[in-house]
Amino acid sequence: MENKKSSTQDRELLITRQLDAPIDLVWEAWTSPEHIANWWGPNGFTNTITKMDLRPGGEWDLIMHGPDGTDYKNKSIFKEVILHKKIVYEHVTGPKFVATITFEERGDQTYITWHMLFETAEEFIRTVKTFKADVGLRQNVEKLSAYLAGMKSR
Amino acid sequence: MYNFTSTYLYNMKARRDVYQAIADPTRRAIINMIAGQPHNMKSITEKFDMSQQAISLHVKVLMDCGLITIQQRGRERFCEAHLDRLGEVAAWVAQYKQFWENKMDSFEMYVEKLKKERYGKQKK
Repeated sequence: MENKKSSTQDRELLITRQLDAPIDLVWEAWTSPEHIANWWGPNGFTNTITKMDLRPGGEWDLIMHGPDGTDYKNKSIFKEVILHKKIVYEHVTGPKFVATITFEERGDQTYITWHMLFETAEEFIRTVKTFKADVGLRQNVEKLSAYLAGMKSR
Repeated sequence: MYNFTSTYLYNMKARRDVYQAIADPTRRAIINMIAGQPHNMKSITEKFDMSQQAISLHVKVLMDCGLITIQQRGRERFCEAHLDRLGEVAAWVAQYKQFWENKMDSFEMYVEKLKKERYGKQKK
């Protein structure tokens, strides 16, 4: 039988970016709750961070408030924290994944990588599928409101 | 009657979902096996530590999802892969990845704003 955990390519995502800012600033923006609340959520969302204990084993609780008033609770546990180098956290509420963020000083700039490894391919597929359903639903609502707006202007 | 109908329709719909096809490790292994070249049912069954019935069921799900077809050649049944529908999944994975790219955009913009506040205009 094949080993579910042997390969990671069907259950991971990698996002990289070179940021035009020094590493201490990038690190601060990533690790202070008051900063994270300003950039974390998708467009139209606000965030409340009730706990952020940035050390191995520390808890991180973040609530995303959707535009329609729905709250999405996120609980994570930090696994590894190395100043100006690396943050590893495990997202323990669904979807379950381990995120590794690395920071690399490049002169006045900072290269950041954001890797997400889902527990299983099944978990990854389920997440993508839920997202698909979610986005699909939103697009339908947008289409409907565009259609209604068109009807009104007639 | 109503319940029966809705459950039946739900199952039909669920079975055609390409995500369901690849959500199972055995089904993924079958797809990998026949992606290169068609195999007959016997050689597929031999590869797995499972009953012929269980393999047949997996093959049926893959068929219902449109990922494989079965052709009768003489006395043997061959499974052939048609993987274009997997592109559907790739497209949604790309959308999901875009969601995280957007988060990175938002982070980049915020860091930019923070930098301007801290260092004023002497740095761009």
